[in-house]
Amino acid sequence: MFEQGAEAHRREDQPRLSVVPGADTATAEALLHRTALGEDEAFAALYDLMSGRVYGLCLRIIRDPAQAEEVAQEVLVEVWRTATRFDEHRGSAAAWVTTIAHRRAVDRVRSAQAAGDRERRAAAESAEPEYDSVAETAAGRLEHRQVRRCLKTLTELQRQAVTLAYYGGHTYRQVATLLETAVPTVKSRIRDGLVKLRDCLEVAR
Amino acid sequence: MSADVHTLIGPWALDAVDADERLQVERHLAECASCAQEAAELRETVARLADVTVIEPPPRLRDSVLAEVRRTRQEAPVAQPGETPPAEAPVPARRRRHRRRTPRLRLALGAAALAVVAAFAGVFVGWAVDREPAGIDEGTRIAAVLEAPDAEVDLREADGGGRVVVVSSAELDAAVVVVSDLADVGEERSYQVWKVEADGQVSAGVMDPGDSSATMLVEGLGDTEIIGVTNEPAGGSTEPTLPMVADVDLSA
Repeated sequence: MFEQGAEAHRREDQPRLSVVPGADTATAEALLHRTALGEDEAFAALYDLMSGRVYGLCLRIIRDPAQAEEVAQEVLVEVWRTATRFDEHRGSAAAWVTTIAHRRAVDRVRSAQAAGDRERRAAAESAEPEYDSVAETAAGRLEHRQVRRCLKTLTELQRQAVTLAYYGGHTYRQVATLLETAVPTVKSRIRDGLVKLRDCLEVAR
Repeated sequence: MSADVHTLIGPWALDAVDADERLQVERHLAECASCAQEAAELRETVARLADVTVIEPPPRLRDSVLAEVRRTRQEAPVAQPGETPPAEAPVPARRRRHRRRTPRLRLALGAAALAVVAAFAGVFVGWAVDREPAGIDEGTRIAAVLEAPDAEVDLREADGGGRVVVVSSAELDAAVVVVSDLADVGEERSYQVWKVEADGQVSAGVMDPGDSSATMLVEGLGDTEIIGVTNEPAGGSTEPTLPMVADVDLSA
């Protein structure tokens, strides 16, 4: 429903109710909302906040820096393009961006796999994050520790299944092959592992 | 079958399913609210796994992304639960202008205006009931605009979905603006309607936060050329935030 015009005019004498630009730049959600309204500056700020996350994940999964950069660009442009569809009631901005990045990176390695050029490396690949990687920035250390500590609460099979799928970009069937474990077992270990991680990380919604 | 799909939620959250399975899971989530809640939590959890892989990209990536973004048009929003953005090729940007030359519907009407507006804006028929507290007087004035011999109907599809229909009468110096099914903006934002003329614009009213449909009477059209709708912080702004969501040109 509308307020009538006269009332809307009266508002002009009052302090503006709008959020002061800059005050809401702190959260990725606010930046994503402003990006959805077509604000280039908000997207640039969002880039600064998220590009390390996007590029790092692409690099982890794809491994080739040139390809990772290419996919990271596709991801970040997709964030811009589809920011209009982000709904914060359904999850955080970081998870939304990360999901796009992971899916694109995985799509890239799967099509490469289809071409056969990753097969021989697959089994030899380390599924574990490199703990002493350049990623170790001061700001990220706390989160690092938490994620690593929580990964350690998983059983060996849960942890391997989750990390092979996530960092390795493998399907659960491929994970079953790599771990020489039955497919239904892998499915349930993945779910159990994620539930345990969720509780450990205290993911709240 | 459903139970089988349900066991795929974990692998789905990790993108460890194939395309068919992904589709099955997402269909399942659309029908099962508790599963969707669990899936959302697992997705949120999984995203934390990327905390340990953060690496600064080469600086050139920033320029390259920002340059591509300038050429890329944003998609229209949707509010379908469980839907994920399709992986489409980027579409070259088309700079939005105040007055686009897309085909406009323009009809001169008499007493039939109400029926026409009702056809374009589904919400309109229910208006009289919804707005009961607003009083008979406003209702009478709205009816007068709709039935004015010189009433004209202008319609504009809004960016992001929905439409704005304006029935205006120069003789009565008034217009009825029907806003329907605009993109959901959430409780923190309001759509605001503006009378735009050569000298600038004046607010014609602010919709309640989160509302995407409404009907209003705008009086004192004067030299108004455009009825514009913008997306503003809840409660409205003193200046419109551009670009407009819809601009209905009355002067053509």
